[in-house]
Amino acid sequence: MEAISLTINGKHISCPPGTSILNAAVENGIKIPTLCHHPHLKPAGACRLCLVEDEKSGRIMASCVTPVSTNMVIHTDSPEIKRHRTNIIRLMIASHPESCILCNQGNRCELRQIAAELGVGQIGLYPMPHYTGLEEANPFIIRDLSKCILCGKCIRADHELVVVGAIDYNLRGFKSLPATAHEMPLEESSCTFCGTCVSLCPTGALMVKNTRYVGSPQNESVTLCGFCGVGCSLVMGSVDGQIVEVNPSHHDEAVNRSTLCVRGHFAHDFLNVSERLTSPLIRRDGELSPATWDEALESVAEQLISTKRKYGPQSLAFLGSSKCTLEENYLFQKMARAILATNNVDNGGYGSGKAVVNLITEKLNGGGRITPLASLEKAELVFVIGANPLQSAPVVGYSLKRASRMEGIPLIVADPRKTGLVAFSSLWLPLVPHSDCELINALAAILYTRKSYDTDFVNRFTEGFDLYRDGLSSLDLERVSRVTGIEIEMIERAADLFEGKKIAFVIGHGILQQRYAILAISALLNLALITGSLGGEGTGLYILARENNQMGAWDMGAVPDFLPGRQPLYNDTRRKHWEQIWEVKLSPDPGLNMIRMIEETEKGNLKALYIMGENPVRSLPQPERISKALKNLEFLVVQDILENETTHLADVVLPGTAFSEKGGSFTNLEGRIQSFEPVVSPPGEAKPDWEILDLLAVRMGYPRRHYSFRKIRAEISHLVPMYTGLEQEGEESWIRESSNLKLFRPDGEGEPIHFSPVIITEDETHDEAYPFTAILGSLRYHLGSGTRTTHSARIEGFALKGDLEISPEDGARLNLNEGDRVRISSPCGSISREVTLKNDLRPGLIFIPMAFHNNDAMELIELTQLGKADSPGWKECHVTLDKM
Amino acid sequence: MTKPKEIDWERLEAIIDKNRGETWALIPLLQDIQETFGYIPEESIEPIAEALSLFPSQVQGVISFYAGLSLKPKGKYVIRVCRGTACHVKGGRSILRLMKKQLGLNEGETSPDYQFTFETVACLGTCFLAPAMMVNSTYFGKLSPPKVTTVLTQYGKDKGEDKKA
Ligand code: SF4
Ligand code: SF4
Ligand code: SF4
Ligand code: FES
Ligand code: FES
Repeated sequence: MEAISLTINGKHISCPPGTSILNAAVENGIKIPTLCHHPHLKPAGACRLCLVEDEKSGRIMASCVTPVSTNMVIHTDSPEIKRHRTNIIRLMIASHPESCILCNQGNRCELRQIAAELGVGQIGLYPMPHYTGLEEANPFIIRDLSKCILCGKCIRADHELVVVGAIDYNLRGFKSLPATAHEMPLEESSCTFCGTCVSLCPTGALMVKNTRYVGSPQNESVTLCGFCGVGCSLVMGSVDGQIVEVNPSHHDEAVNRSTLCVRGHFAHDFLNVSERLTSPLIRRDGELSPATWDEALESVAEQLISTKRKYGPQSLAFLGSSKCTLEENYLFQKMARAILATNNVDNGGYGSGKAVVNLITEKLNGGGRITPLASLEKAELVFVIGANPLQSAPVVGYSLKRASRMEGIPLIVADPRKTGLVAFSSLWLPLVPHSDCELINALAAILYTRKSYDTDFVNRFTEGFDLYRDGLSSLDLERVSRVTGIEIEMIERAADLFEGKKIAFVIGHGILQQRYAILAISALLNLALITGSLGGEGTGLYILARENNQMGAWDMGAVPDFLPGRQPLYNDTRRKHWEQIWEVKLSPDPGLNMIRMIEETEKGNLKALYIMGENPVRSLPQPERISKALKNLEFLVVQDILENETTHLADVVLPGTAFSEKGGSFTNLEGRIQSFEPVVSPPGEAKPDWEILDLLAVRMGYPRRHYSFRKIRAEISHLVPMYTGLEQEGEESWIRESSNLKLFRPDGEGEPIHFSPVIITEDETHDEAYPFTAILGSLRYHLGSGTRTTHSARIEGFALKGDLEISPEDGARLNLNEGDRVRISSPCGSISREVTLKNDLRPGLIFIPMAFHNNDAMELIELTQLGKADSPGWKECHVTLDKM
Repeated sequence: MTKPKEIDWERLEAIIDKNRGETWALIPLLQDIQETFGYIPEESIEPIAEALSLFPSQVQGVISFYAGLSLKPKGKYVIRVCRGTACHVKGGRSILRLMKKQLGLNEGETSPDYQFTFETVACLGTCFLAPAMMVNSTYFGKLSPPKVTTVLTQYGKDKGEDKKA
């Protein structure tokens, strides 16, 4: 279409038809004041402040909702317009309460800013405030709607961005205000406390609740959220070196599109707690006591070297962290391999689907890693399996809800529980836990029988279809229906939705942590192949990484079996390559993974362990067993930011720093690499983790220091082809894929992808003594085991108790009422909880949220409850319930 | 008397089901419920939202926006007295005062026997009849105190009596 030309304030402008006058002006550097406009929200035309005048027609119009038209002669600042604007502001102030002068929003209030710009002082109108009372019972958000100017930004943010719908306009005229259903306080509504509305509110009507008065931040810097794998971009405000405020950043390309979740927005107050480690500690006479860096580093270097000398390199192990930066993970594994000559290096992400990711990496040869969330909103169909992103990775949940509500994209949810996403889905498949593999195969079998699969894709890019086809043909659907608990008709209906579409698969811990993870993911890859759902926009596997740098830690080689760039140790060329660079001899045998480290410690084979940024005593199954094992070590060094269950057992504690206190980079679940600079200084004597590793390396005889995280970044960028963008492209880049598969290569040459055989799981045997299946999962208020989030005063102030969820039918059968206490016992251990009856569970299933009560739910699970292919079956276990 | 009956949930659900999946049908559906039950029970907000893939807050927003929809049970006769400018100039204020006194109700209130609900509106759109009021869908114009009494009597209001009620 032809561009439209017009003039704004005498400047000739041309822009595409449909552009609003406001956007045309803004893009050309002309500022128009607004109160209800936000680039990520639909224009509403509510505040009328953006009025402009067309000289030709004499019309005065709201520029945010008026599209440009040819030959308009717009004035944005004429005396007439100013007069109108001034009057609008006067009226708004007339209905504002007197408390305005004491408002915490201060000069960040957009209403006051604009009033000041327009020179509105005394308004000369009779004040008519609309008192509403203050709502501040919850620990997150204060609502003082007497300061509301009805711009509707909060409502649009709530509907259009996070798609919760907790609030909407209520009543009309003078009484009109945003309200929850039944005008309940936020904590009794569907509000998720994402705080997105608070960040967008132009006035002090919605404010963050702080534990103490902090005023306006002195400094603001753009950084990342340190919690989950989404890697939201945010702005942190600080006062006197402490983080006091967090807001989403509003840049267009950010993964979070001006939103955050409750963790990112409100839980970063954990950074300021008194349990932060601020000085190195050394165990002397059985007690941990403060030491100098010199003493601590010397002790660690000396112990590691002498252990190696005495017992050999296999007696040492390094457990790193999927929360630490790329630079740190790279250095950590380099220390293990290049200095201490051991492959015994892993990170806490092991339990979150390492086996699955290995399989995908291998099958796709490193292809299909780039999965932007934005393209979920352009998918043809999204299949969400074993994932509850509304709780675990809320920003992914927002994308999916937007895909469904705004774009009309069908969602299928396969989950034993009726998760929050079910309300947005076209179909829910309530399958029996860990029967996913069977369900997926059945779907493929139906598509195959109907001949509705992508033959072209199969012919061009795959191999081994014949064998797969045979497997599908011999599948017994009746059996599948019995095993999955889903009627054949339902599976048929899912297949109807699949027909002719390319699919985006969203995979969560329900798959990543299940016993049959490998079978399920093989089946899913097959399904992706026959539907042609790989390699195009809005298709492929979206893996919900739990931790912020889980993908990055794997990419950096902080794992026992891969070198940086996910290059397998057994690959001689790749190994030799690194041997040359590091000037060492590397063993081709994989080292110990996290679980094997514990087992070898128990056996007394492992003598020294270096833990960086992990709290295994809290996060792993059987906490007592873990702590007993760790006590068996001759030497344990723990580098962390918080005093915790694991630091208590250490011989030396090294105080590291949180992401906000150091520079570095993280790789998120999309394959996006984001770098950041420090926002504040580390507390006390704490040091950035990369610096600690750098200092230690030279003490252990490594010839060079890196001196800065930028130098480490440059080394990664230089040596790891996947990460060449890291240095070249600055703050943000994407993984560089270099797959040898035809599908992912622009030249159309290369290898085919192999179908995996159809494998049928064994029928479950159920121990009568433990009749319930307990599913362990997250609530959005905590991340993982909750080491950090339970230190957030706000999250703790919300006082969730981590209730056991049970179906009303089972509740009635066991004579349990809401609030009763039960003992939950598995063969492994037992815990107690209060009961909540939940309609979204089928009888026989119960749900236990993790992270509560020191994450004691892990007592129910066995550490080595491993599936066939080394994938920890930590997602569920069988239990019995007794009323207490 | 015509107290609001126990909600006939089956009937309510039938109405909701008629429009299941039709997000656009919110207003006709609400009107249907309003007509059938005389109001829209609060408890129906969630099922309506669920059926139409809307948020409960949205449904409530629409109900509370339109004067013709109500979350509270209303009387058999809904009396709307105008407080618009034209009516005001023609003595609407004394009509209002008289009405309050005769009904024994304040604005927005419903008599305990669910006979009358008393409301005011910004303009009835019949300014030429000022001062004006409506009882359900019938207009009464050029009101005077005696005329008000007559109208109320016509609807079965025995003046003076249940003022205390
Ligand atoms: S609360 Fe804030 S964002 Fe919401 S309508 Fe009022 S002024 Fe706007
Ligand atoms: S905090 Fe989030 S969920 Fe709650 S009302 Fe605001 S935008 Fe909606
Ligand atoms: S926890 Fe995850 S979803 Fe929430 S703000 Fe942080 S990165 Fe975003
Ligand atoms: S910004 Fe245009 S009406 Fe508010
Ligand atoms: S002012 Fe009363 S009807 Fe218009």
